Amino acid sequence: MLKNRRQSVNRPPTPDLTDDQAKVPTLQEVINIKLIESGEKEQLMELVREKLTECGWKDEMETICRAYIKKQGRKNVTLDELVRVITPKGRASIPDSIKAELLQRIRTFLVSAAL
Amino acid sequence: NMFFVMLVIFPMSIVVCVQLALHVFGDLLDSIIVDVASECHRIARLGLERKLDEEEEELRLSAQARARIADPSNNVEANGKYVVDIFGQTHPPVANEIFDCMNCGRSIMAGRFAPHLEKCMGKGRKARLKATRSSTAAQNRYSRGSPVSTYSPYSSTASINRLSNGNPRVATGECSNGTVEEP
Repeated sequence: MLKNRRQSVNRPPTPDLTDDQAKVPTLQEVINIKLIESGEKEQLMELVREKLTECGWKDEMETICRAYIKKQGRKNVTLDELVRVITPKGRASIPDSIKAELLQRIRTFLVSAAL
Repeated sequence: NMFFVMLVIFPMSIVVCVQLALHVFGDLLDSIIVDVASECHRIARLGLERKLDEEEEELRLSAQARARIADPSNNVEANGKYVVDIFGQTHPPVANEIFDCMNCGRSIMAGRFAPHLEKCMGKGRKARLKATRSSTAAQNRYSRGSPVSTYSPYSSTASINRLSNGNPRVATGECSNGTVEEP
């Protein structure tokens, strides 16, 4: 019995318990977990999506994508390419009001998460 | 949690808080950008946007047509009667579709319809002259008292019919039914 157990187990190497740094999550990771667990991340995503659609940002991005696809031929385009193509313009063309509102909401969450 | 409380209390924490918020916002934005890109990517790869394919097809066809024009073998002189247009189609010099004239009911060839209609509706020079001539001829005959000739291609009977119909129509420029046709 013992022999079988030893052979059937494929254990990864035990992590080094003396290395504390590896175990402590970064602040960002902790925040992220809190965001997800509380459901706030999902709510924020929906809010941003809605606002960006309303103000035409999404349409603008889609137009850029379509132009790129038309130029390259639709069968030659990878997802990575498209992301690379629209990211700079995408980040730069967020309306200030939307950005401010979102940041405010996130900061509120951070404070409430701290208490 | 002590860590977070410290964050809120100390001023440096405000900078950290803002940085964190920006980071979170950036993450959200990146996710949304990936969503938009992947939707466009999917539509493109699956060929769901028909307009794109239609445009590509249009471009291809017009390039083809342009090539055909450049090709000297499609010239007018070379082919004589049959001219080839940019889509490679030929058209006969006279439109040869046949349909029925809505005025007199005869079968007319499309390319011959305009002249037919002129006569048919009495708008042409000859038709008007005909009508005037026949009505004045009839008046002359009556005033002279001579018998009405039974043979008359532009019959006075026609004009009599018109007048006796009680139609308030003018003799010229109008026809009631089955008009005279020039041979």
